[in-house]
Amino acid sequence: MEGKLAEITLLFQKFKAAYGKNDVDTSDNILSQLKVKLTELPGLPPLFKSSPTAVQELLLARDIFEHAVVLSVKMEDQDAFERHFLQLKSYYTDTRGLIPPSEQEYPILGLNLLRLLVQNRIAEFHTELELLPYAAHDHICIKHAFELEQSFMEGAYNRVLSARQAVPHETYVYFMDLLAKTVRDEIAGCSEKAYDSLSLADAKKILMFASDRDLQAYVLDDHPDWEIRGTRVYFQKAKELAPCKEIPSLQLINQTLGYARELERIV
Amino acid sequence: MGQDVEKRPVEVVPPSVLSQLKGVIASIEKGVLNKEMRLMARANRQMFAVRRQLKTSTVSAIMKHALPAGSDALARLSPFVAALEKSEKDMDVDSPAITGQSHGSQKQSVLPEVEIFCYLLVTIFLIDQKKLKEAKACSTAAVKRLQQLNRRTLDFLAARVFYYYSYSHEITDSLADIRGTLLALHQTATLRHDELGQETLLNLLLRNYLHYNLYDHAEKLRSKTQRSDSHSNQQLCRYLFYLGKIRTIQLEYTDAKECLLQAGRKAPASARGFRIQCTKWAVIVRLLLGEIPERTTFMQPGMRKALRPYFELTNAVRIGDLELFRHVAEKSSSVFTADKCHNLIVRLRHNVIRTGLRNISIAYSRISLTDVAKKLHLDSATPVDDAESIVTKAIRDGGIDASVDHSNGWMQSKETGDVYSTQEPQQAFHSRIAFCLNIHNEAVQALRFPPDAHKKELESAEKRRERQQQEQELAKHIAEEDDDEF
Repeated sequence: MEGKLAEITLLFQKFKAAYGKNDVDTSDNILSQLKVKLTELPGLPPLFKSSPTAVQELLLARDIFEHAVVLSVKMEDQDAFERHFLQLKSYYTDTRGLIPPSEQEYPILGLNLLRLLVQNRIAEFHTELELLPYAAHDHICIKHAFELEQSFMEGAYNRVLSARQAVPHETYVYFMDLLAKTVRDEIAGCSEKAYDSLSLADAKKILMFASDRDLQAYVLDDHPDWEIRGTRVYFQKAKELAPCKEIPSLQLINQTLGYARELERIV
Repeated sequence: MGQDVEKRPVEVVPPSVLSQLKGVIASIEKGVLNKEMRLMARANRQMFAVRRQLKTSTVSAIMKHALPAGSDALARLSPFVAALEKSEKDMDVDSPAITGQSHGSQKQSVLPEVEIFCYLLVTIFLIDQKKLKEAKACSTAAVKRLQQLNRRTLDFLAARVFYYYSYSHEITDSLADIRGTLLALHQTATLRHDELGQETLLNLLLRNYLHYNLYDHAEKLRSKTQRSDSHSNQQLCRYLFYLGKIRTIQLEYTDAKECLLQAGRKAPASARGFRIQCTKWAVIVRLLLGEIPERTTFMQPGMRKALRPYFELTNAVRIGDLELFRHVAEKSSSVFTADKCHNLIVRLRHNVIRTGLRNISIAYSRISLTDVAKKLHLDSATPVDDAESIVTKAIRDGGIDASVDHSNGWMQSKETGDVYSTQEPQQAFHSRIAFCLNIHNEAVQALRFPPDAHKKELESAEKRRERQQQEQELAKHIAEEDDDEF
């Protein structure tokens, strides 16, 4: 037991060294080896066998998984992040009585919330939020994600984009970039309904583009129905003023047949 | 009976309670004989009627009456009651007197139902006396005993035992411990097709998960279990309430509203606490959907005080005033946290802004964005840009009908057309018609006839013979007539 523990600790040191040098491939390899070795320790979930080294094993395993999570952010691999985080979550919830809380806990939880927001899984975002105790809402990382979701829901997208400057943790930068892209699509969708036309300078500012060329490339790629005439961007070519007076006959027929059937049943 | 009254002239109640309980046990036995579930339910109701009047002496008396002295069951239950008796000083007097008179009515064997009923009685009594640890121990013993038995007539009482098992753990704050047991019991109930037990246990499990805010687990469990038609109105109400809560957290507000409103409607009028909870959640869900509940929902008798914070909240959302909303949320935050709806209230902020915006757009045909920001009390570093983004999003979502002029920095509202020329009236009618037809179908399905009623209409064997004979004669007669004519 102690031998295995010492072995894993040694390997972990190597991992931290490679990670510090930003050598992603080596770190990944060492991580896979570490995970295999971890399965040999009985003190970990789901077994939770208590032994004199159990606390050490739990602490070590949790540390390893936290680093794994941060590594997957660096590697920009969202699936790996999800897997590692789910494994880590059981450490946070089930071991509350056994080992002291980790200081990385809240930043990583905040990171997960942000990931759910970026992937537009709002229902899961809220379910996760419910699991957090009320006091956690004051922690800066959680608050950041929480306020971000609020601004997103309300539509104050400019607040979202400015929040990018105020990240509480450097691991958040990756997700904030992804979020910026989603937000830009949202803003484009809103602007096209709300404005008839915009000058190029205004469009550039609202969509947060650096130059005219970027803006034009974006319009050509994603929104071919926008027209750029002179110095203005026109969103709708010609409004369809003829409101369709057609009656949704199929739906009405179905409904009326349903009524007839039910009424007949009333003897 | 006379001896009791002489020795303790103070207490007048025990004789009648005792006889009532004896009646209850008799009806349980009859129920087991005829395999009639309704008698069990009636027995249960009668017991609850006397629940408040129970005293330790009554409990020990009924136990000695129902369970033969020296049986296993009596041995297991006596410690619980004896512990209580020790704590009350004047009970030693009557135990010999009561044992004397119950010798005459001893039974040879004891039905398991009666035994479980005694367990139930003792558990309820202990809970009422606030002896929570003993209640927990007693109910755990009852569940262990139940696991050894497998009789369909026990289902009803077993369901009640499970409920008190979970309840006693909940008030002693140890719900997480029994999750494994509840899951195992649920599995057994499903295997034995014990539908009432299945339903009760599923509700208890959901309650367990929701107590710890594990909405994810609860939803996974609920979606994977198979549910049959409900056997008990109360269990159905509870199920709808838990389902409504899960759906609210998952942002499916329409489903949630339907579940919560139904739960509130189907609940019996005496379950006031439950109905208050349903109403609270239903109010929040309706606010989140964008509709304002009427004032009458808050003015129901007995609920007015409990619903006061929610009433103020609705007011703030209706006016669309962010300041007022923030004020109310802070003032009543303890109430909201106790009801576990704090996060939902925060989600309401978005609705407040939306309503405020709608009011502005209806009131003004054209208004500058700085004024919009001021009216909405948007406090941030860049209110005008915020206001612009919020307005554009509201336009895209169809909340308001307007367009924005960026260069001049104002918002221009469009004219609203005639609503009767659209599909709206038809949709509204359709939903009402569907609802009425649904109620009719459910009522027909719920009709119950006494079991042998239809047999009266059918002919008995003799009448059938008579009729057949008559038909034969008639046939012969007609045949002869035909012959005659020829």
